[in-house]
Amino acid sequence: MRITEAFERGEFVVTAEVGPPKGFHIDHMLEEAKTYLSDITAVNVTDNQSSVMRLGSLATCKALKDEGLTPIYQLTCRDRNRIALQSDLLSAAMFGIENLLLLTGDHTKLGDHPQAKPVFDLDSVSLIHTVKRLEEGFDLGGNELVGEPPKFAKGAVVSPCSDSIDAQLAKMERKVAAGCDYFQTQAVYEPEKFIQFMEKAKQFGKPVQLGIVIPKSVGMCRYMNANVAGIHIPEEMIDELKADKEKTKAGITGVEIAARIIKECKPYCQGVHIMALGWESKVPALLKEAGL
Amino acid sequence: MKFADQFYKEGDQLENYTKYKLKGNDELVSLLAGKDNLFVVACNKCFKEFETVDEPDCGEFEKIAVEQGKTITGSIKVDFLCNKIQTEKKLQDIIPEGTENVFVISCGLGIQTVADLAGKPVFAASNSLNYRGHHGMALTKKSCDACAQCYLNITGGICPIVDCSKSLVNGQCGGAKNGKCEVDGNKDCAWEKIYRRLEKQGRLEEFLKQPVQVRDYSKVNFKVVNDYVKSIRENRLEGYYGGIHPSERKEFTEHLALERFPDPQTVVIPLSMHAGAPANPVVQVGDTVKVGQKIGESAGFISSPIHSSVSGTVTAIETHKHATRGECLSVVIQSDGKNTLHESVKPNKDLDSLTPDEIVEIVREAGIVGMGGAGFPTSVKLKPPKPVDTILLNGCECEPLLTADHRVLLEFADDVLYGLKAIIKTVGAQKGIIVIEDNKPDAIELMQSKVADCENIEVVVAKTKYPQGAEKMLIKRVMGRQVPRGGLPADVGCVVSNISTTKAIADAIQKGMPLVERVVTVTGEKLKKPGNYIVKIGTNTKELIDYCGGVTDEDVMFKAGGPMMGFVLSDVNVPIMKGSNGIIAIDTDQTQEMPCIKCGRCMDVCPMELSPLYYAKYADEENWQGMKDKNVMDCLECRCCEYICSSKIPLVTKIKAGKNAVRGMK
Amino acid sequence: MLITQLKAQETLASLVDGKKVFVINCHGCKEVSFPEKEAAELQKEWAAAGKVTGVITTDYICNPDNMKLRLEKHMSEIEAADMVLVFSCGVGVQTVAEYLEDKMVCAGCDTYPLPGYQGVTPLEYDCDQCGECYLNLTGGICPITACSKSLVNGQCGGSKNGRCEVDSDMECGWERIYRRLAQLGRLDALKCPTQVRNFATDDEVSK
Repeated sequence: MRITEAFERGEFVVTAEVGPPKGFHIDHMLEEAKTYLSDITAVNVTDNQSSVMRLGSLATCKALKDEGLTPIYQLTCRDRNRIALQSDLLSAAMFGIENLLLLTGDHTKLGDHPQAKPVFDLDSVSLIHTVKRLEEGFDLGGNELVGEPPKFAKGAVVSPCSDSIDAQLAKMERKVAAGCDYFQTQAVYEPEKFIQFMEKAKQFGKPVQLGIVIPKSVGMCRYMNANVAGIHIPEEMIDELKADKEKTKAGITGVEIAARIIKECKPYCQGVHIMALGWESKVPALLKEAGL
Repeated sequence: MKFADQFYKEGDQLENYTKYKLKGNDELVSLLAGKDNLFVVACNKCFKEFETVDEPDCGEFEKIAVEQGKTITGSIKVDFLCNKIQTEKKLQDIIPEGTENVFVISCGLGIQTVADLAGKPVFAASNSLNYRGHHGMALTKKSCDACAQCYLNITGGICPIVDCSKSLVNGQCGGAKNGKCEVDGNKDCAWEKIYRRLEKQGRLEEFLKQPVQVRDYSKVNFKVVNDYVKSIRENRLEGYYGGIHPSERKEFTEHLALERFPDPQTVVIPLSMHAGAPANPVVQVGDTVKVGQKIGESAGFISSPIHSSVSGTVTAIETHKHATRGECLSVVIQSDGKNTLHESVKPNKDLDSLTPDEIVEIVREAGIVGMGGAGFPTSVKLKPPKPVDTILLNGCECEPLLTADHRVLLEFADDVLYGLKAIIKTVGAQKGIIVIEDNKPDAIELMQSKVADCENIEVVVAKTKYPQGAEKMLIKRVMGRQVPRGGLPADVGCVVSNISTTKAIADAIQKGMPLVERVVTVTGEKLKKPGNYIVKIGTNTKELIDYCGGVTDEDVMFKAGGPMMGFVLSDVNVPIMKGSNGIIAIDTDQTQEMPCIKCGRCMDVCPMELSPLYYAKYADEENWQGMKDKNVMDCLECRCCEYICSSKIPLVTKIKAGKNAVRGMK
Repeated sequence: MLITQLKAQETLASLVDGKKVFVINCHGCKEVSFPEKEAAELQKEWAAAGKVTGVITTDYICNPDNMKLRLEKHMSEIEAADMVLVFSCGVGVQTVAEYLEDKMVCAGCDTYPLPGYQGVTPLEYDCDQCGECYLNLTGGICPITACSKSLVNGQCGGSKNGRCEVDSDMECGWERIYRRLAQLGRLDALKCPTQVRNFATDDEVSK
């Protein structure tokens, strides 16, 4: 199922994400996904997230699909040129994987193979454009595809709480113009900023899923504030995590905070995307707490 | 066949890679849509044979614009548009009122330079061309991609990054057919070439034992490059525009204490060792003379008297070989070995009791002229036509190899300081600044301690850069003042004095001793025993060289002065003069002049911000008006342009020819 | 334009191990960058250890004719050496290697690119000579060089506080572009069609 269909039906679309392991044994990951994520609309599979080499996104998507889940295939421009990207997209279509999240990708220097050649032959916008071309029955070189063209739900990301909203909106507009169907956002901790952003993003008429990362600890918050683009966790929220260490450790505080953000933002968006970062087990509790 | 022919394409001596081409007609038409009142800036292109000044692209673009019914408010063609400092000056006030859009025809560097300056929407009318791998200054062939992990040591000196279409680093792919690359049938498979070369050198075993190569793409990154750019830029623009950093090679002599050169038996004293009219001899053959006795009288305002450096007998007054003038009337004196002082040599009143005019007179009578080489009469300098507030003592000695001033500073610090005080008093300045380059820390330390209790004298340390010792550069660097075109230091309230000259002033006042000896650095990598000597004026240069053990081999070039501004001595049978700060014996350089490739380096290093490449072109065409228009008369002849010229063009010779012709035009 | 940096001491030590060496230093691009002092020190050490048959310090050895004229004087020293070690950019090493085809010619330096060529003073910014100038869409700031990923359709999500994810000393190129466009009232430039780079032009257009 393409998740665009769910948006069209007016559903509040819930997705979460899993990161493939560094290795090819995914029984544990599949088990967790089946246990905690089978009730949601779809599951993102990250593509060598943070430029750290892992099991492939495409293969993991296929495995999730075989288990009855709906995967969203994340695809970055960091490691493949346009030939490899298009080829992988056709492979995805063959496996019946219909949902895409198309990204530029972190730079190679940030990961565990800093010596690697960064590719960036295409970028997120031109990758969306490329997918659209494939859907029209042509590859980027203008050559016709054999048989029925593929059809995807083409997703992209946007960072509503970043420093320069105007530049973000401009980029979002370019993505829409290139053919993007829906957006997932960077993790949001400042509902006000998100709402302001959505007021402006409304004009594009594309569904946007609120990005959520459950705050696990004070250290994690501090780290994200210092290092992760487009994320600012307010001090009060960090104080909340500090207040009761046991409660925080058990994930209860984090879930409370995340649920509150979801509730506050829900009227302004079309879904939520949960990046559990290993806390997949907390997803059901979070959804319950948020009333979803 | 010339060896280089292997490198060049057939019928094409020089890889003529221009760096931009006009965008296509359709693209330009759509780019022009909705834009009017255009100002056009075009770059004259670089890295190509310097045949024509104007590139056709500017006209082509203007034609298209006019066809589209656009108004062109004006246009300018600029050399090296990317040279931000010069471009800024050229574009100042040139874009007329009413201009709405600026169109630039240039590579991306020039476009960005204009975009940063113009304050108006700037559009590119051209695309830049790729020249990666073409970085030999000789522009012969594509050969280095600057991967930061040179593989040449394992490939027998053939680059696998550039020569292999896939840039493979562990051997060939399976794609070569008949030794030709799968991508380009005209290209030899790089790895087959490498294999053959290694085989020939018997290095296959070594190659086979090499570990697997994995390229590290993180080495070349913006940070590394940007850090470099920043540091190089600062270094390049330190103090004043242009300049260079030739190898100093001062270690041969900088730590060697001054030594008195053994008295010569005969001295040949030229009657012209200064700017202006030669002195008139006032002795006759057979006369007995003493040390310090005047033997030549000043022959005009810009002239200088000449004194005997020995006691003895005048044996001849005749033309002799001269280091800078070919030949010159000279007084030959046979020394009696006694060094009897002339009765005129006696101390003057102390500095406080002397009036400025008295000091000027003492300096004039002592025959003191600029001892840095130019030989301008110091007494004239001491009566500046405009008020002067600052005296700059030039302790830069920026010429490579030379250490004469350095040693004078170290060994005659008190005399130098005395001389400076005398100059300050004479011209009525408020302040004296001793400028020393940072490669002479011992001199800096000493002078700083000496001036510690002088209120109006300070020591300024300048980062080493040639030609810092040139008056105009020194003033710019230290005072931030710009001597106007064709002007003198006094125009900006300064007088600049050389170290040895200043010491000579002190000697003239304190001892009454005229300028009859000086410190000479005798050095160079070809000289067996370099040293710093106190030498009597008129001593034969050959005696100095012989005393220093002679030269290591016959393949040697002698120069009077430093390697940059010194005069080539085809014959070393010439006397040491007032301006002889060094005698150097250096390696010869047998190169041949190549066509100019418009690399822009000469413009980048010219401290006077001139365009030396035009001088080469115009001198060959005997276009003297063109040279005049390009301000050839402002040239200092510092030789930076010739030093940096990648085509080995003898620019200074051409400039001198141009200057002579321009002088004759009046 | 190129930057040269001395190879690691250990690399050079193992390279010359047990060999007699003839050394060529090229100062042609010294004003741009050349590890003059480090190279001289190393060569002094080797000379003291009796490893060096000769040293020449010259310029523009990338010019084959002049390089040849200069080397001719030193052929006996070169013959006496097991290896010619060239301290220059990669172009210089190859020019020598091609001339002395039967000799082991090695590089003492690694070569880095220095985009932004003009004379010898590099610019603060640069142009990658991509052959399809994007400056008209970006207000005159080159996205190929100002963006670590050379993105041509806008910024990635990686910048934090306006700084690039790869190098926090570097401003996000696309934020600069956005500001410049806003300042010039040209934000509509961002509404251009999706840009796809044409890497093929690089070589083709320079022919």
